[in-house]
Amino acid sequence: MAKHATAQERLFALRETIAKLEGKTPTLVAEEQPQGERMAATGKDSRRIALGVDELDAALEGGLPLDGMTEIRTCAMRNSGAGSGFVLALAALIQRQAKASALLWISDRFSNVEAGRPYPIGLAQYGLQVRHFLHALPRKLEDALWLAEAAAASDALAATILEIRGNPSAFGLSESRRLSLRAKAARRPILLLRHASEEEASSAVFRFHAEPGPAAERVLPNGTMLGGSIGSPVFRLTLEKSRNPAPLSFLLEWNSRDRQFCLARQTEPSRLSGDATAHSGTRLPASADGPDCAAALGRLMAFDRAS
Amino acid sequence: MRLTALDEVAAGLGLRHGQGLAEARAMYPAIDVAEEDPAADRALLEAIADWCDRYTPLVALDGSDGLFLDITGCTHLFGGEQALLDDILLRLLQMGFKVQGAISGSPGLSWAMCRFGQGGVIEDGGGEEMLASLPVACLRIGGETIAALNKLGLKQVGDLLAMPRAGLARRFGGHLLLRLDQALGHEEEPISPRRPVALLSIERKLAEAIQAEEEILELAARMALSLRASLEARGVGGRVFELVLFRVDGRVFRISAGASRPLRDPQKIAELFTERLKSVHDELDAGFGFELFRLNVLQHDPCEASQDNLLGKAEGGAPLADLIDRVSARLGEDVLQAFQLRESHIPERAIFAHPALRHEAETEGKPNPAAMTERERPLRLLARPEPVEAFAAIVPDGPPSRFRWRRVLHDVARAEGPERISPEWWLDQETAQERDYFRLEVASGHRFWVYRQGHYADDYRPTWHMHGIFA
Repeated sequence: MAKHATAQERLFALRETIAKLEGKTPTLVAEEQPQGERMAATGKDSRRIALGVDELDAALEGGLPLDGMTEIRTCAMRNSGAGSGFVLALAALIQRQAKASALLWISDRFSNVEAGRPYPIGLAQYGLQVRHFLHALPRKLEDALWLAEAAAASDALAATILEIRGNPSAFGLSESRRLSLRAKAARRPILLLRHASEEEASSAVFRFHAEPGPAAERVLPNGTMLGGSIGSPVFRLTLEKSRNPAPLSFLLEWNSRDRQFCLARQTEPSRLSGDATAHSGTRLPASADGPDCAAALGRLMAFDRAS
Repeated sequence: MRLTALDEVAAGLGLRHGQGLAEARAMYPAIDVAEEDPAADRALLEAIADWCDRYTPLVALDGSDGLFLDITGCTHLFGGEQALLDDILLRLLQMGFKVQGAISGSPGLSWAMCRFGQGGVIEDGGGEEMLASLPVACLRIGGETIAALNKLGLKQVGDLLAMPRAGLARRFGGHLLLRLDQALGHEEEPISPRRPVALLSIERKLAEAIQAEEEILELAARMALSLRASLEARGVGGRVFELVLFRVDGRVFRISAGASRPLRDPQKIAELFTERLKSVHDELDAGFGFELFRLNVLQHDPCEASQDNLLGKAEGGAPLADLIDRVSARLGEDVLQAFQLRESHIPERAIFAHPALRHEAETEGKPNPAAMTERERPLRLLARPEPVEAFAAIVPDGPPSRFRWRRVLHDVARAEGPERISPEWWLDQETAQERDYFRLEVASGHRFWVYRQGHYADDYRPTWHMHGIFA
């Protein structure tokens, strides 16, 4: 009998290990296990953070992992605004649930010049608490990785955002795996923002591809939309890496006042909008020289000065 | 080229200072000549001064070849003045320096005895007769004054002492009498130490030199433990610490580490140096080991005592401060930055970034100043506004219909604005121009923050700039 119990125990432990490798929650294992003791259903809520959009949460199996790495990539530097925006929206969601409010943004020098440095006033309006917002600008990628590991391991931060440009050889699968394991051990999320990068094997649990979408219009107090206004940002996201076999594309809108995501509505043409902008005007370039001048007579001997 | 310094052999051959090199070579073709390198000489003197830190924290450089050590209150640690002097001279001799030393009540007298006398320890009150037989050059006065004194037959200090002071002052100025008084100890003469004196300092001398990083850190932790009582007595905690390592062969290393809050805990202080040692790993060459350690507190701030609980652990850790300390120690304090808001409407001035290590705790609780505007601000602000080529802007106050930024042409789909921000005339010139900010969404969905500087006028075309990026 005792032997049987030990065997059961071992079997259960093995199943649990396999479940962990597959990323399932131990509760599911407990349900599948007919005789095993039911584990307390604590795992699911504490390890995932729901984005608040049902379809998306289903695809993410409950939400974004709080003990792992999530990768957000953009295909070109010009989309850095959308990438940063989506990462920061995720950070705002995490921050709302975490007990620590500090955030660390680790930039690389190039992205900092090219896309600008995070602007705390803008971040606060975006729905983040910026009292303990830290920005790091390490000289080398190795330093950045060390910093990300140290930050994940310390208990002080709600989330760590690591910004990398492109696909540097110093950040490959092994480094990504190392970071991911560190995040898992420390139970802290790492958000990896990769600008202008290609798809690459990585150890992140999910990978999103972010592009900007046309912003939602501002909502007027009577519920109608103000045509031509620029309201909440909309991201055109593709969930590239997940357990789903096919990539999932959707338009997600971030409402910074309520700090929540919603699926963007297909904007219906409102009465005021149409092609006109808030400041409608001609699209033609301003004429500089008046009407076209008459053709010169005779043979061209020398060009006029261009400047 | 001329000879500027001679060693003993060369001096014995009869070569002189200021002699031409060609002449010296003609006399003795076999001499070795090294070109003078004042910077290297200076570095060597600095290194020796660093080494002398082991005797007293007050070490000052004197010209290009001398050092002043203020040993007030230090002599008993080395067994008296004579023993201290013997120790310094012997150790320097073993390192290969020929050194003359003197200890006396005033820097001037020591200087004179070193360079013109026999050196050694001069008792108080014995200065006058010692000086009397020395040449007047020993008073640290200019060459012209020496020449003038010699012309008058005043060759030794004793001759000067016999003269009436009023006449000397009239003829040679007050400087001569000042130097004379300083040498005799009638006039105080402070020396200017090279480094600020540490607020608190603790030292360990080892019988056997240590090399390993772990041993150094353990020793640092033990020194920090001894330091704790002094910090507690003053009611302060250290903000900047410095670990000074004296290597066996005389080289001195200084490693400083800052903390984001006043620290007293020996373990935390040791952790600071753990990271620092990792970052300076290559530069810290242990060689044959370090024999003398000193832990200095260079800056301290008042700190509230935290009471340990019964388990012997302080309650309420500050993990964020620990992280900041670690990162700043390892990567340098400029790497990690925190932000502070300032009262300004100019976007780039409203935010002030500074090292997180220096982030003052009390500013956190302040209410948001005017910088926290209701107007929308971008997520990322470019370090400096970049020029934009704008086309078909609506005159006078409208957004452009399209613009070119970084060689890409964008068609404006929607625009909001303008938000007018006036220049701060008390900082900028009075002629500074207003900025009209627009939020623009282009056809591809990107959202930008663009401003026009100035207004359209008959003879003026304002410039457009890209300043930030929205989500």
